[in-house]
Amino acid sequence: MALLRLEGIGKRYRQGEVEVEALHDINLSVTEGEFAALVGPSGSGKTTLLNIIGGLDSPSSGSVHLNDTAITRLSEAELSDFRLFQLGFIFQAYNLVPVLSALENVELVMVMQGRPLHERRERAEHYLELVGLTAMMHRRPSALSGGQQQRVAVARALAAGPRLVLADEPTANLDSENATALLDIMHRLSHEEKTTFIFSTHDPRVMERAERIITLRDGQVESDETVATPHHAS
Amino acid sequence: MNERQQSRLPMRVLFSLAWRNIWRHRRRTVITLSSIAIGFGLAVLSIGIGDGSHNSMIRNAIKLGEGHLTVQPRGYLEAPANYKYIAAGGSLATQLAALQINGSVQPRISLQVLASTASNSVGAVVEGVSAADDPRTEMLRPMLLEGEWLQAGDERGLLIGYGMARKLKAKLGSKLVVMAGKQGGDSQAQLGRVRGIFDSHMDELDDFLILSDLSFARVFLEGEGAEVAQQPVTRFAIFLDNEEQLAHWKQRLQESIDQSALVALDWREMMPQLVQFIVIDDAGNYVFLLLILMLVVFGIVNTVLMSVLERTREFGLLRALGMGRYHLLWLVFCESLLLSLLAVVIGWLVGGGLHLWFSRHGIDFSAMMAEGTTIMGTFMDPVVFTELSAERVIQLTVIIFGATLASGIYPAIKAARVTPVAALRT
Repeated sequence: MALLRLEGIGKRYRQGEVEVEALHDINLSVTEGEFAALVGPSGSGKTTLLNIIGGLDSPSSGSVHLNDTAITRLSEAELSDFRLFQLGFIFQAYNLVPVLSALENVELVMVMQGRPLHERRERAEHYLELVGLTAMMHRRPSALSGGQQQRVAVARALAAGPRLVLADEPTANLDSENATALLDIMHRLSHEEKTTFIFSTHDPRVMERAERIITLRDGQVESDETVATPHHAS
Repeated sequence: MNERQQSRLPMRVLFSLAWRNIWRHRRRTVITLSSIAIGFGLAVLSIGIGDGSHNSMIRNAIKLGEGHLTVQPRGYLEAPANYKYIAAGGSLATQLAALQINGSVQPRISLQVLASTASNSVGAVVEGVSAADDPRTEMLRPMLLEGEWLQAGDERGLLIGYGMARKLKAKLGSKLVVMAGKQGGDSQAQLGRVRGIFDSHMDELDDFLILSDLSFARVFLEGEGAEVAQQPVTRFAIFLDNEEQLAHWKQRLQESIDQSALVALDWREMMPQLVQFIVIDDAGNYVFLLLILMLVVFGIVNTVLMSVLERTREFGLLRALGMGRYHLLWLVFCESLLLSLLAVVIGWLVGGGLHLWFSRHGIDFSAMMAEGTTIMGTFMDPVVFTELSAERVIQLTVIIFGATLASGIYPAIKAARVTPVAALRT
């Protein structure tokens, strides 16, 4: 059964005098545990589609269903709580709250979820260990490299126990070595935690690691292919 | 989501985040808090000086005037006249003594008269007092230019002001004819002698006041039909040891006197012009306070708003992660709350420190005042000691705290309005 269903998603917005069609009749379904990449050139609609899937933006037409929930019908407050409990986000940059340590950043979402202290502390430490940052968990973001910050974001996204993790160009600001390492961590955890990942990218190195590649062009799905043997470092 | 799961953010976490947020830009926060503390200090000092000078004026006015409380004939305040007096002063004095008031009760006789020498005549007011222990003695005795103070039972002795002495060309020992109109239209006169001349620098006293012993003034009441044996007086001036008990003693007096003929008034009712002056002067202080508050408010708005605008992307991230608008609003509001608390604490340390210093050492305004220390028929001491009552402390704290807190509302609303997509694009 599909975890995520997108039916006839369209998105139009005005840019000055011109009406721009960012997405046109997108139909997709993603099953649980998939590690899928949204690829395409700049302006193809990747970020817009991820924002709509994540309930950060609303489509002009169509509907998004995650499990049994039609998220396009939720009120703003319901959407906010939905994101908190069902989704994980990794953004391109500035993912962390600067005044919190890595550990506290990972814990923050679980605090909002109302998890007890011992549980969230245990989970936060566990996921920071999985991303290889145990020794740095008490450092603030300013004392971490870009790659380390993104790994904290991965730990945060997974520690909260989401159904789906959305990553918008997570490696865009990273050098090759860090980008590869981050992708390997994401892929490994996707399998170990059985968590579904959808990430946007136009980085060929990232695409190599995807199990499914959905290509967007001019706001439409150009191709949707499953990769038989994706490349993995480990 | 059959049963909707909702986000939570305990106050402890909110305050912890808010505390860290306000120290992100240490220098900016320190500058803001310093400006608030200095403003607060100035406000405390300004209000303290205002209250100190007002209280000094009031204390002097009470001593020079009719005490904290006055018992006098009903209608005397509205239309003073020599024939309005308390005929049975002696028995009322006994009645008042029985109340065991914490303070002193002074019999007084007030008369509107014409004072004449061979050279000139002036309208004047005779104040017959208990020469030995009336609190006016304490105020005016140091102001005697020449001569000596009245002696108890001196039936001829008079003290006049320097201004009146000049007009009447009177000197020490000069004869003074004091003439008073009677209710029936006749007049009566007595001869007095100038025992002393005072200079209070206050025209109302120096030009018009004649002080005498009760025995001299009482003769005029006798002329109005009073019996001297009953010790008639115009009023009793009551000086309380503890002015906080004014309302209590006023109530007790009202209960014990014959209210159809007598009235018990407090100093505010006796000196409405002074009260009005203080109210107007206070209004000036409040304008100053308002200006300081505006500076404080703009300081906080500037700091918190800058901090909000700088963190638009971070707020977008928090909203994306599932933090509700309500929690974001509270987060920024908590930052203002903490800034306000810090501002009030530091403000009181600065303002309270200034107040403690100046309440002990005073501020000497004599160079600015020259001889003009008289206001509204009373004196203002040239050295002002700042005073702050508990009510003032609460009032200032509430006003500053309220203003600083209110200044956080707009930035908090602005933060809560952040939409994740727009914010993450910044």
